[in-house]
Amino acid sequence: MLAVQHLKVAYGPTEVLRDVSFDVPEGKIVALLGGNGSGKTTVLNALTGLVRPRAGSVRLKGEECAGKRPDEIIRAGIAQVPQGRDVWPSMTVAENLELGAVTRRDRAAIAEDLEAVYDLFPQLREKRKRRAGSLSGGEQQMVAIGRALMTRPRCLLMDEPSAGLAPAVVGDMVDAVLELNRRNLTILIVEQNVGVAAAVAEYAHVLQNGEIAVSGPADGLLDDPAVLRSYLGR
Amino acid sequence: MLFSYLLVSGITTGALYALIALGIVIVNKASGVINFAHGELLMVAGFVAWTLHVGLQLPYGVALLGTVAIGFAVGVLTDRIAFRPLANADLVSLVLATVGLSFILKGTARLIWGGKADYLSFPPLTQAEPILLGPLMIIPQQLVVTAGALAVMIAFAAFFRLTTAGKMMQATADNAKAAKLVGIRTDRVYMMAFAVGSLIAAAAAVLMAPLTLLYPDMGFLLFVKGFAAAVVGGLTSLPGAVLGGILVGVVESLAGGYIHSSAMEVAPFLVIMAVLIVRPTGLLDFAKVRRV
Repeated sequence: MLAVQHLKVAYGPTEVLRDVSFDVPEGKIVALLGGNGSGKTTVLNALTGLVRPRAGSVRLKGEECAGKRPDEIIRAGIAQVPQGRDVWPSMTVAENLELGAVTRRDRAAIAEDLEAVYDLFPQLREKRKRRAGSLSGGEQQMVAIGRALMTRPRCLLMDEPSAGLAPAVVGDMVDAVLELNRRNLTILIVEQNVGVAAAVAEYAHVLQNGEIAVSGPADGLLDDPAVLRSYLGR
Repeated sequence: MLFSYLLVSGITTGALYALIALGIVIVNKASGVINFAHGELLMVAGFVAWTLHVGLQLPYGVALLGTVAIGFAVGVLTDRIAFRPLANADLVSLVLATVGLSFILKGTARLIWGGKADYLSFPPLTQAEPILLGPLMIIPQQLVVTAGALAVMIAFAAFFRLTTAGKMMQATADNAKAAKLVGIRTDRVYMMAFAVGSLIAAAAAVLMAPLTLLYPDMGFLLFVKGFAAAVVGGLTSLPGAVLGGILVGVVESLAGGYIHSSAMEVAPFLVIMAVLIVRPTGLLDFAKVRRV
């Protein structure tokens, strides 16, 4: 589904990603892990066009996305749920979600997708007229996910969806990610929380110093004490 | 009688200051930049209106629409020429670009509409006879101007609340990264902000023209009044800008009537100081970090 090959990103003279290659197979959940500053968020930003890669290719079902504008990449089918929930606080929940579909013209399908988001997160239906900034952290995360779903992505990128959430809510978030996958969505999830990654992902890649250091099935990899110690500081 | 007269004329000029402040706030909200050329955009629009209405003898309404359309186009053009190339530069460069733009506009106005000493006058819209409404003495012209300003404000609020373009601007102001991530072209939103800001300046200029004289240096003083109103309202709040405008207009008018006409120029700054001492983030701005 998503094939990343030899991706390089640099800010000025500083190379942040040196040579990153990995695949996200259709219908799977893949985790991207790594310590602070290993370049995880930069990978996502390069995939969605927020930063322009210096070299390499990003193919979504064969369509080249590297170097395109964010709106073009979103139309191609990649959406990102940003870290830190980044909702539009002064706008209502419904406005946040509706603006997610700003690149689309298929009104009937947009209305269907909005219903699907409300079915997935019933709290949002109740609070749709509330300002997004007044919601709890977990609810804002739901808005951010719902807004990304409104772009009707084929591949969803999630940047640390569990960060900053109360432990009780993290479980709900894991359930939501699994439910989205059951609805046939391919997901790339960036996580600091190895437990969350292990709970959802089938494959995992560990990023270190701008390169993929190890890859493998999530079960074996994230149980391996050597991997946890060397790459993830556990 | 004096008080009511000063109050009404203060509200009238205040409504115009509010429009100027709205233009400053909308640009600041979207881009974080204070547009120091805002007063010059207004001045140019005033001259354009004069050319259409007095020079070409077009009816006032037509001149208004024409000027507003030209104001919008000037906003688009300045974004393309002056601001887009600086999209990745720091904020200071952008602010300096607005200062540069103000000089260019002033020079252009002098070239087209004559020398420094030229004061063009705009014909009045209505009869000059004041109307007595109980204790209030109102000059019809003021009524027209206030109603016009109010109509522009309502149209503006509707644009933000109801249209997708308005919501895209709001979203970009709230969080530009999130806006890009749903496919909003934020570069176009910034252009839209400059264009709408310039359009509002044009509307303010056409409403103001019959009350004042037009000259190439009129822009800066008007900018200062609008900026004062915007600061009083918190620099990013649209209702705050309207409130700030009325406050500055009324204080200025009362100071001129009860103290001395020279006090009029000082009054807005006293308002800013008083507000900033009591509420450092402005009257209607809650907990937002200022960028400029």
